[in-house]
Amino acid sequence: MSGLIKSEPFTLNIGPQHPSTHGVFRIKVKVDGERIVDAEMVMGYLHRAMEKLAEERTYTQNIPFTDRTDYLASMSNNLGYVLAVEKLAGINVPERGNAIRVIMAELQRIASHCMAVGAFTNDTGAWQTPVMWCFRERERVLDLFEMTSGARLTCNYMRIGGVAFDLPKEFEPATRRLLADLPGFIDEIEGLLVGNEIFLARTRGVGALSAETATNFSLSGPMLRGSGIAWDIRKADPYCGYEKYDFQIPIGYQGDAFDRFIVRLEEMRQSVKIVQQALDALPGGPHSTQVPLALRPPAGEAYARVEGPRGELGYYVVSDEGPSPYRFHIRPPSFINLSALKEMTVGGTVADAIVVLGSIDIVVGEIDR
Amino acid sequence: MTRQWTGPEVAAIAERLVPGSVDRSTPVACYLRPEKLVEAMGALQAAGETDFVHLTNLCGVDFWDHFEVVYHVQSFVQNAIACIKADVLDRERPALPSVCPVWRGAWMQECETYDLFGIRFEGHPNLHRILLWDGYPGWPLRKDFLSMPGGLQPGLDEFSGTKRRLPPPVKVVE
Amino acid sequence: MHPFLITDNWYDLRDLGNLSGRLLELLDDALPFGLVYVLAALIGFAASFLIFVLPSQLIVGVYGERKLIGRIQSRYGPNRVGPFGLLQPVADAIKLMQKEALTPKTADRALMYLAPIVFVAPCVLLFAVIPFGPNMVFADIPVAILYFLAVSSIPVLTTFMAGWSHNNKYSLFGAMRVVAMTISYELPLVLGMLGVVLFTGTLALQGTVLWQKELDIWLVFLQPIAFAIFFISASAELNRTPTDIAEAESEIVAGYLTEYSGMKWGLFYGMDIGYAIAAAAFGVTVFLGGWTLFGLEKWVPPWIIFIGKTHLFYFLFIWTRGTLPRLRIDQLMTFAWKFMLPIALLNLALVATERMFWIEQEADDSIVYAFAIINIIAAAAAVYGWSRALGYRPEETPLRPRLVSEAGGFVPLESGGEGAT
Repeated sequence: MSGLIKSEPFTLNIGPQHPSTHGVFRIKVKVDGERIVDAEMVMGYLHRAMEKLAEERTYTQNIPFTDRTDYLASMSNNLGYVLAVEKLAGINVPERGNAIRVIMAELQRIASHCMAVGAFTNDTGAWQTPVMWCFRERERVLDLFEMTSGARLTCNYMRIGGVAFDLPKEFEPATRRLLADLPGFIDEIEGLLVGNEIFLARTRGVGALSAETATNFSLSGPMLRGSGIAWDIRKADPYCGYEKYDFQIPIGYQGDAFDRFIVRLEEMRQSVKIVQQALDALPGGPHSTQVPLALRPPAGEAYARVEGPRGELGYYVVSDEGPSPYRFHIRPPSFINLSALKEMTVGGTVADAIVVLGSIDIVVGEIDR
Repeated sequence: MTRQWTGPEVAAIAERLVPGSVDRSTPVACYLRPEKLVEAMGALQAAGETDFVHLTNLCGVDFWDHFEVVYHVQSFVQNAIACIKADVLDRERPALPSVCPVWRGAWMQECETYDLFGIRFEGHPNLHRILLWDGYPGWPLRKDFLSMPGGLQPGLDEFSGTKRRLPPPVKVVE
Repeated sequence: MHPFLITDNWYDLRDLGNLSGRLLELLDDALPFGLVYVLAALIGFAASFLIFVLPSQLIVGVYGERKLIGRIQSRYGPNRVGPFGLLQPVADAIKLMQKEALTPKTADRALMYLAPIVFVAPCVLLFAVIPFGPNMVFADIPVAILYFLAVSSIPVLTTFMAGWSHNNKYSLFGAMRVVAMTISYELPLVLGMLGVVLFTGTLALQGTVLWQKELDIWLVFLQPIAFAIFFISASAELNRTPTDIAEAESEIVAGYLTEYSGMKWGLFYGMDIGYAIAAAAFGVTVFLGGWTLFGLEKWVPPWIIFIGKTHLFYFLFIWTRGTLPRLRIDQLMTFAWKFMLPIALLNLALVATERMFWIEQEADDSIVYAFAIINIIAAAAAVYGWSRALGYRPEETPLRPRLVSEAGGFVPLESGGEGAT
């Protein structure tokens, strides 16, 4: 057939202003009919030179910058950064501070996965219904953040040596009410989509990556776990006392978009379990240690990572005994997860490319920094 | 807990696998020689005792007189992470072999390092400015990049290649 | 005669056709020859506009759809303009008329202006053959089903005009998709309708309704496969959600509508609803007994029954739109050619056999109930069996991820892990 009809590939710009690029991100695809023969990413529309700015500000002043990288998971970003600085300066965090950090990071994971799951299903064409359902639950998590830190999206809550404020007394009952409702909500989403034959047809086998390829492409988070690799920083390299909590790592089967989706859903269930345990065993005592305002860590370097909602969220901080970091580098999970985009999209159709992009769960603020 | 490889441990294995590849080692990191970098990295990835299958993090650091490129590599099975570094001494034309043949996923992080530090990665399949646009003057994460080179101000008018047509001068009617 | 049976008297407003018929008779006497046909068209248009098109379009099509989808998505929907937000469609229309209708520089202006206008006309034509009541049909032509199928495929040309004229790649994608999809879906649709026609022995819509009334059975029970095929094909041709690939907003922005704005877009939007209501009316007439409701039409005006049924049918479109994800174009094509076409052919063979048996044995009319049971069982068996044959294996599809307790490397599929389902 292809020999009979002459066709010629043409370039289609998906983005930077497109409903499904989740921000200002652009893919230049070369399509032959509906088939993609080449894909090139163009990014940087949201570049704010955060790594340069951070070299001019003190260690504490940098915490709000980390909110603005991955604005859907600000708590996890705060946590990664303060862990790196604490590792560099050798600061210990009190028990209660660690427990609060775990609660916040896991609630953030639930909120972020709500967004990921909703946006992904919107990309498959489920016309906004799952998005709205997810937003309904995410809203309640954000209410908890507002109650605790005063902000909903960019919380700026973690501090070097602990957290900014202790939990308010309404926090625990409100969180328990949320935790009681969340499993039902996750089942609801699962019932709407996971057994749906159209959804399965759209996502199974799309953007599949073998375990070797996923490893070689430095992927992390749900994308790595979807390919069948049991790797979770919370288990492998526990921080903030994650070793005390009982949870499991969900892994997929063949590394396609559907596997990433079900891995995210299951991670939300596991996060509910972790928050439950952390609330039950919430220790007393101070929520933070006293840390000098102008912190001058000893010269050296530290690489600390947390399991963010999108994958391994690493912070590499170099100190020269000055009041501000000498070098401040973020390992952004969704930026690095994008590196396999071409592998996943070429050969598929335009509709598949959108599904693949949704399954990566990109946040452009984090990609461009 | 993830085991942290110290520099000398990695250096001993790398020296055994690829003789002459190690420059020096500190307690934190093992410094590899640029000319043997790719070979040594490939050996460390393939060797069973190290098994560095996953390149976690790649970034550059500017130390005024030279650059360092930092690789954090890890093994899933052994649950171990190591820090490997390479020095880039030439500040005028900084270059380093690309590790893309070893870890294909390194290409975006190398592009980013090239974009912000100006370190050329030789053998890279598609080295380009990934965050900033082509023709951006200077390398912003270098320590000597304090303001725009040549006293330029931010804004599209000032950069070569992206000249915007200026509006016609306003005629003043007497 | 039973007092509640619908009479032909002009004051019997249970059928509005009586009044207008009487009126036209009087006018025919007074006016010169032929003028009454023009008047009839005008009266029919005004009446259908007042009692059907306007309420359906605005209240059900715009307000009802937004409100229902809002409830499905656990939000309120429009509730600010007017009581319960009922004036929202009017506000939308006013806004659309005020908006500037932009035309891209590189667009083919003539085609771009023509497309929305050409899009409107067939929609009005479609309603001409729909029977609203015993006498309330504008043109009871003997080939109404054929006419409906023919006219309803005109908008495809219009959408292609629209997509082509923009000189926009996304629009072109949408236009190409719409043409490819509609050609594929016309075939099973016509084959499905053929089964219906074989049973009823008529191509007239009023005749189809009367046939169902006479035998006291709806064709949906006799022809479940044809009904399913009609529903799927109709939603495909209408670009409704499981099959809305032509304007898939997450993939190709808005498909052939990408560059339209203002009232040009508004015409497309309004007429999309119009076509959906026309398809619903057609489906109700053919499969769900039209204006009959098991004797209730003697008391309740039939046109109210018909409009109610149409709106309930339209609710099915809204429902699928609110819940189902979208298929990919190649999957849609595969579905049409590999699944619906064979099933439709099978259905046709079954119907032909049954019809033959019916005529040859000179069986009683109540045999249709036996046919209904046979056809429903055969439909379920055919759909299940054919999908199994095409590789549908739900029990082999793992729907939950595997769970492991320890971090490590790759977990092979054989070793499973805990909690694998």
